[in-house]
Amino acid sequence: MLSIAEIKRGLFSYEEASRGFVAVVKSAADLLKAAEKAKEANVKSFDCYSPCPIHGMDTAMGIHRSWIPVITFLGGLLGAVLGLSYITFIDVFNWPIIYGGKPYFSWPAYVPLLFELAIYFASFFTVFAVIGLGGLWKINRKPPVEGITSDVFAIWFGDATLQKADVERILSGLSVEIKEIQ
Amino acid sequence: MATEKNIYHIGKPLAAMDDDVLRPIEAFPTKLWWGAFGVSAALALLGVGTIIYAFIVGLGIFALNNPVGWGFMIVNFVFWVGIGHAGTLISAILYLFRQKWRTSINRAAEAMTIFAVIVAAIFPLIHVGRPWFVFWTFPYPNERGPLWANFRSPLLWDLFAIATYFSVSLIFWYMGLVPDFATLRDRFERYKAKSKIGNFLLKVKAVAYRVLALGWVGSAKTWQHYEKMVMLLSALATPLVLSVHTIVSFDFATSVIPGWHATIFPPYFVAGAIYSGFAMVLTLMIITREVFKLKEYITLKHLENMAIVILVTGMMVSFAYTTEFVMAAYSASHNEQYAFINRLKGPFAWAFWIMFTCNVVSPHFMWFKKLRTNVKALFAISIVVNIGMWFERFVIVVISLHRDYLPSSWDSYDPTWADYAVLIGSFGIFFTLFLMFIRTIPTIALAEVKADETNSQLSHH
Repeated sequence: MLSIAEIKRGLFSYEEASRGFVAVVKSAADLLKAAEKAKEANVKSFDCYSPCPIHGMDTAMGIHRSWIPVITFLGGLLGAVLGLSYITFIDVFNWPIIYGGKPYFSWPAYVPLLFELAIYFASFFTVFAVIGLGGLWKINRKPPVEGITSDVFAIWFGDATLQKADVERILSGLSVEIKEIQ
Repeated sequence: MATEKNIYHIGKPLAAMDDDVLRPIEAFPTKLWWGAFGVSAALALLGVGTIIYAFIVGLGIFALNNPVGWGFMIVNFVFWVGIGHAGTLISAILYLFRQKWRTSINRAAEAMTIFAVIVAAIFPLIHVGRPWFVFWTFPYPNERGPLWANFRSPLLWDLFAIATYFSVSLIFWYMGLVPDFATLRDRFERYKAKSKIGNFLLKVKAVAYRVLALGWVGSAKTWQHYEKMVMLLSALATPLVLSVHTIVSFDFATSVIPGWHATIFPPYFVAGAIYSGFAMVLTLMIITREVFKLKEYITLKHLENMAIVILVTGMMVSFAYTTEFVMAAYSASHNEQYAFINRLKGPFAWAFWIMFTCNVVSPHFMWFKKLRTNVKALFAISIVVNIGMWFERFVIVVISLHRDYLPSSWDSYDPTWADYAVLIGSFGIFFTLFLMFIRTIPTIALAEVKADETNSQLSHH
């Protein structure tokens, strides 16, 4: 069964790379290996940075699958329910008028509207969820090392118990360049 | 299948891709760009000026008359909404079908969608005659009774469909841009640090890209949510894009006008929209790849794929034309039968035959590989298809309206200077927006191209 803590972990897993060590690796393949090593070493907080999404990164890092689809579904449902309630209030209670001999509550004619409203709400919920969960409203953020948005792949260790030697040990076997962030 | 994948493989270092794609944004615009921008902006001014004049003196300056109550404005509206379908089709439907070739053209195609919908939205605004009352169509509690909108009317469905389509396309496009804006933000940050004298424009651009990039840092945890979002928005946009032209066709199909009252309208309109939309994408992509030297990204194979889509949808449109005639012949309704004879032989038969030649005959050139891979031929056919698709809407709107049930009410339709000015102006507005887009926003989805390159290398190891 899902616990509240697990849902919370899935939703709010993002952490700012404000302290700790960041290791620049040579390629996307190396980043995947580095993520595996960090997972195996049970590092509490770490994250990978790349110019593009990398296939298999979720499993390599061992992060929970995204909860975005649930938010999308709730958004769509809310859109349709709100739309139907509002139209019913207007057509049945507030100002009932007979158009073309049809009943006050003529639901088949509302289907196109409810469809559009469901999609509208679902889309906006999805986008705002991504902005919210990734902290994207903080526009003054910078990537932990320069070039992440161009061609640099890096892994960040935020675990306060780790020293530089520990990071080197975890990533042994990969050619990396380790830097400390304060 | 390995060779199939490699066709779209660019094989360049990732940083070199940044330089290639972002060059038009960072360099001073060329004379060619200024020339094109000047012409487009002049045409846009002509259109906007005519629209303002129409708002001042009223709709009398257009050729609308008693039977032909829907004229050029509705023709143009349907035409531009149709153009606006290809972008979402490429970015959403081809994404769901895992068509790798969409990656390098989806950004520009989506931009085209947004600009086409903006242009399309102008026409109902003109058509209502008193645009300052257009907010009455929104069902909000008001002091006029309250006077509500009619939720059973396809015209109101249309408002909702277009508004939803525009908003969803816009956020889909924008969220796709966020990682690329972050690339631009970091580049402009470097330029700003390098230049010793305070360059005002550079500072403005750096701030603009910082705000637009939304604090994107490329974290894997954010990428995970982000990729899920792209998949979900594609899944939402796919039925949405099909619903939009379906609902536009309801505006016609739910009426009782001979030539409009047909159940084939929704699929017929959607096929026509994809057909004209792809033709417009082809026109714009050919121009973009030539002018901005992006031939490694938008290859002949991309153009050929689009040509095949045009061929397929062109045949679907031809099939719909034929079906309409068969249904009319079989309908046992004299009015319906007359409406179609009038298309073939009436005073506007020339419009029908232009439509027929452009839409039914021209796509068949795409059967030949030589023509499909000939850029000049493709460019010519893409323009011919769009002319044909404009005439299709003219045929549907004007020919059906000018002669309906009562011969005593028949009339003709003679477009005025204002009709033509707004039509030409709409192209001006569209191209002005598109030219501004290619100077300020990455024309190719960089992060997606990089993802394709990186992940295809991963699977080789």
